[in-house]
Amino acid sequence: MGSLWSCETLQDAPEIFDINRKRNDCLPEMGVPAFFRWLSRKYPSIIVHCVEEKGKECNGVRIPVDTTKPNPNEVEFDNLYLDMNGIIHPCTHPEDKPAPKNEDEMMVAIFEYIDRLFNIVRPRRVLYMAIDGVAPRAKMNQQRSRRFRASKEGVELVEEKSRVREEVIQKGGYLPPEEIKERFDSNCITPGTEFMDNLAHCLRYYVAERLTNDPGWKNIVVFLSDASVPGEGEHKIMDFIRRQRAQPNHDPNTHHCLCGADADLIMLGLATHEPNFTIIREEFKPNKPRPCGLCGQTGHEIKDCQGMPREKQGQHDEFANTMPSAEQEFIFIRLCVLREYLARELTMASLPFPFDFERSVDDWVFMCFFVGNDFLPHLPSLEIREGAIDRLVRIYKDVVHKTGGYLTQNGYVNLERVEMIMQAVGVAEDNIFKKRKEDEENFKRRNKEKRKRMKAEQQGPAYLTTGQFAPHALGRRDRPEAVQNARHQACDMRMQSNMSAAQSLKAMMKNGGNSSAGPSDSADSRGVKRKADDSDSEPEPEDNVRLWEEGWKQRYYKNKFDVDATDEDFRRKVVQSYVEGLCWVLRYYYQGCASWKWYFPFHYAPFASDFKDIKDMFSDFEKDTKPFKPLEQLMGVFPAASGNFLPPTWRNLMSSPDSSIIDFYPDDFAIDLNGKKYAWQGVALLPFVDERRLRAALADVYPDLTPEEKRRNSLGSDVLFLGKSHPLFDFIHELYRTESNEDTEIPAELCHGIQGRLNLDDDPILPDNTVRSPVPMLRDISQNTAIGVKFKDPQYPDGFVFKAVLLPGAKIPSKVLKPEDWVRGNGQSWRPQLGFNPNRQQAHLDQSGFRALGHNLNRSQQGGGQYSSTPPPSSYNQGGYRPSHSGGHQSFQHSRQNSLMGAPPSFHQPQFPRQQQQQQQHYDRRRDDWHDRGDNRGQHHQGYSSGRGYPLPPPSRRYNWN
Amino acid sequence: MSSMDVQDFIQQNRAVAEQVENYRGYWESDKHWEPRREFILRNLNDFEDSQLDHLLSLSMVWANNVFLGCRYSTELLEKVKEMAEGIVVEDAPVFKTRDEIVKKQQGR
Repeated sequence: MGSLWSCETLQDAPEIFDINRKRNDCLPEMGVPAFFRWLSRKYPSIIVHCVEEKGKECNGVRIPVDTTKPNPNEVEFDNLYLDMNGIIHPCTHPEDKPAPKNEDEMMVAIFEYIDRLFNIVRPRRVLYMAIDGVAPRAKMNQQRSRRFRASKEGVELVEEKSRVREEVIQKGGYLPPEEIKERFDSNCITPGTEFMDNLAHCLRYYVAERLTNDPGWKNIVVFLSDASVPGEGEHKIMDFIRRQRAQPNHDPNTHHCLCGADADLIMLGLATHEPNFTIIREEFKPNKPRPCGLCGQTGHEIKDCQGMPREKQGQHDEFANTMPSAEQEFIFIRLCVLREYLARELTMASLPFPFDFERSVDDWVFMCFFVGNDFLPHLPSLEIREGAIDRLVRIYKDVVHKTGGYLTQNGYVNLERVEMIMQAVGVAEDNIFKKRKEDEENFKRRNKEKRKRMKAEQQGPAYLTTGQFAPHALGRRDRPEAVQNARHQACDMRMQSNMSAAQSLKAMMKNGGNSSAGPSDSADSRGVKRKADDSDSEPEPEDNVRLWEEGWKQRYYKNKFDVDATDEDFRRKVVQSYVEGLCWVLRYYYQGCASWKWYFPFHYAPFASDFKDIKDMFSDFEKDTKPFKPLEQLMGVFPAASGNFLPPTWRNLMSSPDSSIIDFYPDDFAIDLNGKKYAWQGVALLPFVDERRLRAALADVYPDLTPEEKRRNSLGSDVLFLGKSHPLFDFIHELYRTESNEDTEIPAELCHGIQGRLNLDDDPILPDNTVRSPVPMLRDISQNTAIGVKFKDPQYPDGFVFKAVLLPGAKIPSKVLKPEDWVRGNGQSWRPQLGFNPNRQQAHLDQSGFRALGHNLNRSQQGGGQYSSTPPPSSYNQGGYRPSHSGGHQSFQHSRQNSLMGAPPSFHQPQFPRQQQQQQQHYDRRRDDWHDRGDNRGQHHQGYSSGRGYPLPPPSRRYNWN
Repeated sequence: MSSMDVQDFIQQNRAVAEQVENYRGYWESDKHWEPRREFILRNLNDFEDSQLDHLLSLSMVWANNVFLGCRYSTELLEKVKEMAEGIVVEDAPVFKTRDEIVKKQQGR
């Protein structure tokens, strides 16, 4: 859930104010670190590290991984869904490595990324790839603001680079020559652009290639929903799942795996009520070193670049100062474990109505929307890092006796009950704001003190004894000698400090009283102006609203909406829009897009306490609304600076003073920092697009479209692909042979109960037809055996309601969390589980193993393991022995050059068996601790994975959320 | 046309006034809409029916500049300021644009 959640905040992590981390935190369509971080801290057992088998290389020949083999994660997935935009962004403009040189390399990078995921997940039935198509209008404001910003940031980056480059070179530094490549405008990752069209084309080739040549793909069905099909990627995936599970042939125990980093995927997964649902995403590593955009070295930002240390001479000099970068690893998020946690948290006894866990999950999802989502600004009093969700859950459970039921059902909202929740939040609002201010002040104070302390440490104490009285480090061989002539020495020292005091006094008078007094730094700081106390602190945002002070509501409405407190009507308008928004968003998650037209027409949310009499504020959405066409949407979200993606007469509308929509395209716009410090964190005050005027203006230029542009602007279809050994293959082949031009239902028995309508593709991929490679460095497929056909999700009558329930026959996976009443020896069997498999084989260590382990893990810990008291000989570590886990994360050297050329990716020697073993080792050690600490075990609900009460985990292979 | 004149005009041209009322954005408060309506009414006669959208666009350029802090090309801004001459906006909000913020932060 995009920008609102993705911008980091004060108390949590001071380092986030480093302006250069912005792309990490606020990458378009990527991020909600705040929510995800909160979730994984609170519910740590939902995370499981992926085991990834790497391809081997033998005598220079790459041996691809055989994905037909059992999944090394000890779980089998049926369906893998890819939210492709989360893949396209990092593959086209990566953060942590040099950008691909051209579009072809980008495509290959995307193929490799999918290969990697396929290898980890190894789906057995379905691979579904969804690229963002045209989004609902509700999303447009956010998209607009991201693209207007991205365009400006891109220009600024280029400017900064050339400025610093000049500086470095003038100073005699060296920089690698500027590559002649066009700046990749990430704005082209928007439906309707040529780039997206090429991408769809390339993916068809990729799918055909793998279906033909990769045995792991032999039996799977591939769905490709490209940018020409309306809807956001993850929501197209949800639509697919929803529409499958509502038909009778659906297998209720399908194991779904959804790939993407957006936190709302977690909500979406919960919303399906499928019991086996897992998310896979890149491990979130904050503070990852990023290479400087100029010289490619890490450790500094562009503005501090000094150039390369020397001229390039040897072949690999350019790597001299680059850190070997570890390949990003993946993690699983197990929603069935999250459901276990939620069951504990949400279950309520003695209710006036029967408790239904599934309904309470839906309410939880709903309440998470208050805290932030892509379609509405979050309520000012609810901040995830301030425990907003916990607060909401508390209120929810308090109020439930008054509400007498659930807040939502099947994605429909009960507004009367929501009002009670809002009013309860509203009561606390005043205190929340005061507390927030307090916390901020405390944080600032602590930070200031810390800086002071650091400074003091650098400078040393103000006065140091010298000579024989000089301080000595403890534990040195040379013993202190007896003091001689103490009085004389003391006198010397006194004289010296008097002299320097006199000196500094003189200096002070010379400088008009500006020099810092004090004898210790007089000699070198003479004449240096003392900096203002806070000179090294961050810029202070000005805050006119002052939510912590009496009258905050009036000031908020005045400052944010420019209306007076007396304007009750206006305030109700805002509340009504927000209420509509909550209904729209929940419906979007549970039933699909209710209206393509609806949007929230303000830049700010109202207060929780403003939600009064909301019961009748919403009835239903306008029916039969249609999405924008791709090029229309481009006109709605692009700034004039990205006009090059549009036909000339269209782009002219974005810049000509005579255009009838010129107001949509300001050159510069206001940013309300809204209590934040940097431009990218603030609210972009962009005008809203008037749909009527946009359509009217475009009517005039529609005739100017070329046939090619017309094609790009038209509505596309999902496509289904499969290989020749799939049971459905002959059926589809027959459709083409008989040229049957009407919708044909998939016979459910041929495809694991998957339903939908097939229709012939206009430009199909057919067996024995050569598939031309769209990427020059990849070969044509001359022996193609794959087939492709248009696919349409199962259709349901108007007014059909998808039920948010567990399906009959669905088996809930076995529990992972420690039973709350668990006590060792009470007969209940339970043991902690690290991966998917509850019966995983455990590795064991003999005594010598423990000794080695204890030695390497335990030296800094007191009373760690039973062997740690025996210090090993100090020569041990110098003898070339390196503990396998010493360096934090292992670096997998993934060779891009090698894998560019061919289909299967090349990875170097696999290291995972060893890592796996390590994990087992920790595990056993910790269990050992466990036995030792039998007395207090009852307090640890979460067992060892919460880490409470147990020694800190060793550095490697552990999830690090800071 | 002072605000009195605007009221008179609306009284005398009900149909036009009603039509113009349709162009009010949902998000526009009275404080923002009334000056923009005046902008439209003042210039209505200079635009033919087919150019109405252009007038609306210019009114938005002006309003976005005054009430939202948007910047447009100098040429455009001068044009709308000319068209808006005589419209009184009291207590207009003050903004910092993105460029200003970034420039300031870079200058540190």
